[in-house]
Amino acid sequence: MLSAIGTHGPTVSPTVLLLAHATLFFIAIWLLVKPQKDGNTWLWPLFLIVAIASVSRIAMSFIPNVMPVTILAVLVGSKFGAQRGFAFAVLVTLASNAVLGHGWWSLFQILGWGTVALVASQISVHDANGNLSMTQLAFSALWSVPVFSLIVSLSIIDSSMSALEFGLYLVNGLLFDVLHFLGNLFFAMWFGQWFDRILQMNRSNSELIQQESEHVSTF
Amino acid sequence: MMRVPSILLILILCVPLAQASTETTWTHEFDAGYITTKPLIIDDTVYVRTSGFWTGSDDRPVVAAFDVHTGEERWTYVSQTSLQHDMAPLFFVESGTGDCGDWQDLLIVGWVDGKVTAHSPHDGSILWENQTEVELFGITGQMALEDDRIIVPTRTGIASFCLANGDQLLDADTGNVGWRNGVSITEDGYVIGDESGHLHTIARNGTVSTTYLGEGKIRHAPIETRHGLFVHMQTNTGSSMYLNGSLIGSAGGSPAMPLMHGDRIYASTIDEWISILCDTQTCSIESTVPFRSYGELGLRISNSSVEIWAPSNTPDGGWGVFNQTSLIRMEHTSFDTYGTAAPGFSEGILALGNDAGILQVTHQESPSEEVRSENSSLIQTIHYFAILGLFLLLCRSFSMLDWAQMMKIGSAFFLVLAIAVVPELSVKLAEKTTPANEIEWDASWPNEWKQTQVIVFEIDGEERAIGGLEPQDTVYELTMLACQELGIQTQVEQQYLGAYMVAFNESAGDGWEFTIDGKRSPVGMAEAQLGETSIVEWRPV
Repeated sequence: MLSAIGTHGPTVSPTVLLLAHATLFFIAIWLLVKPQKDGNTWLWPLFLIVAIASVSRIAMSFIPNVMPVTILAVLVGSKFGAQRGFAFAVLVTLASNAVLGHGWWSLFQILGWGTVALVASQISVHDANGNLSMTQLAFSALWSVPVFSLIVSLSIIDSSMSALEFGLYLVNGLLFDVLHFLGNLFFAMWFGQWFDRILQMNRSNSELIQQESEHVSTF
Repeated sequence: MMRVPSILLILILCVPLAQASTETTWTHEFDAGYITTKPLIIDDTVYVRTSGFWTGSDDRPVVAAFDVHTGEERWTYVSQTSLQHDMAPLFFVESGTGDCGDWQDLLIVGWVDGKVTAHSPHDGSILWENQTEVELFGITGQMALEDDRIIVPTRTGIASFCLANGDQLLDADTGNVGWRNGVSITEDGYVIGDESGHLHTIARNGTVSTTYLGEGKIRHAPIETRHGLFVHMQTNTGSSMYLNGSLIGSAGGSPAMPLMHGDRIYASTIDEWISILCDTQTCSIESTVPFRSYGELGLRISNSSVEIWAPSNTPDGGWGVFNQTSLIRMEHTSFDTYGTAAPGFSEGILALGNDAGILQVTHQESPSEEVRSENSSLIQTIHYFAILGLFLLLCRSFSMLDWAQMMKIGSAFFLVLAIAVVPELSVKLAEKTTPANEIEWDASWPNEWKQTQVIVFEIDGEERAIGGLEPQDTVYELTMLACQELGIQTQVEQQYLGAYMVAFNESAGDGWEFTIDGKRSPVGMAEAQLGETSIVEWRPV
């Protein structure tokens, strides 16, 4: 799979592709089953969020760079940590690209969203009580874009590409990065709380109601 | 509550992607018989024939013509003498002139009783007819056209007839009987197979030369490839594929009639659908899909994508639709059952027939440019109203100093605004930042190419160019035409983002890119528009 690097990436046989997907899938499973200190209940919320992210990415694929996956990677990374965040990135990429098309770029998308989740696990968008900070989430809509975009752009580098050409490529993508940011912001503002409630779906209603009222007052 | 309008807003933005189209369908059920050969769609008429084993009753095989739009029957011709299964596909010939005279449009029908009848496509009347040899059966294979004559595979060889008057020009006997023994025309003459594994090449003077391939039955017109003739032979244990006389593969039993498009041969059996890739060395099986189809296969080329339709010869019926390597979908009708007839295709029209003897014609009307333009303008209006509405709501939130609301409305407003402007701006940005390679007129190019479209290929370090071709609208069209002229093989895949050039002459490398007049295109080859004097360059990435 890694034998050549180019715009369109290495060409692999269906068998190799199947093996690569199986490997990535098992990495995701390993990341999920690997014990973690945090005692949060994560399994079903995470799977539900993976399903929402994959379906919405496919459904919104006609608008370039507008999808809730990035903001969900932030929320998952912040809530469940980098390990689960990476698993989220692998599962969403495998599932959605099954429809949108797999290729060399899939690996970089996984790395991109995984890195966003990793950063979010360090710069949390939740406070010490586990409540979502909308200000932090809005900020994450911004910083997640260059992180993801730069990593995914690396997929086009090959031996013949100069630094200038790569720079021009990034410049050409700036407007779409703006679109990515605005999409992230939109999903954060309109659906952020909703996504967060899914991530903590096993908490009692009273806790959630209290958290919701705190959210309104904190923004 | 605010999530509901936001979802509605997103749905509004989805509308431009919805391809408005209308679809009308009509069916015609024949009184008796099967449809076992492909319906032919010519202009506004669909022609179809029935087949069966007719005993005693009044039922007989027919050839019928219908208005393709309404299903109104235009004419029907009934054969009173053809009593066995009529398996020869209908053959349409456009009017023309030749050494033996002039002819009008003809619908030529080969019958199992050995007759060849040429009908007027307009009223079905017989313009001429002739008789070929019968040995239990007569004509059951696919005919071919050569200049001013129709080449007909007979039960024991071939015959050719003048299109103008039906006079017999050639009658060659191979000494063996054939069934569904379609004829192919090659440089050496006419090629047919038979029921005992022989491949016969009949020179234009009638001389027969025979090659024995092996124990089996050749029930299709041999396919000419650059590596020799391809034959898919039915054997006692399954089927064998031969290329230029050598065995290249085995598959399930009862092979379908294979077809070739580009550098691929598509075949099928009772067990699998097969895609065979012919590269510079040989032809070899590239992919198989479990499927049961053993009659005709149909080829549909639409918007630069290739579809191979295979009738599923099972009780559930239907048609498997394949791309170059795999099954894409199944198509079904309300009368699905066993079937062996390929569908008939025309621009936006699909004609299906199967063993139920029912013809279904579906007319898919793509929206006209005018309607598309109206839809597009409506969407734009809605989009602008959405922007305006969100802007007003944003102002209201600002006036009330409702920051939470302002963030929500503001994010939606700027997103909708960006969706409207970013695509166009990005194209302009790309044009500004892409370094243009000046394309200069090459002095070695002929002067006749000036003021025409020119296309240049840099394949394996060698540059090949052609110009002076019929003007084409898109890079894809010009590329295909030029490759055909230059003998360059192409491998195109339909990917999520559109048609993608995988390889020229099997050279894939890290991919291929094109420029138009030295500039990269922001859209794919199927959408990239050409001017009358555009210079297109294809080079490896």
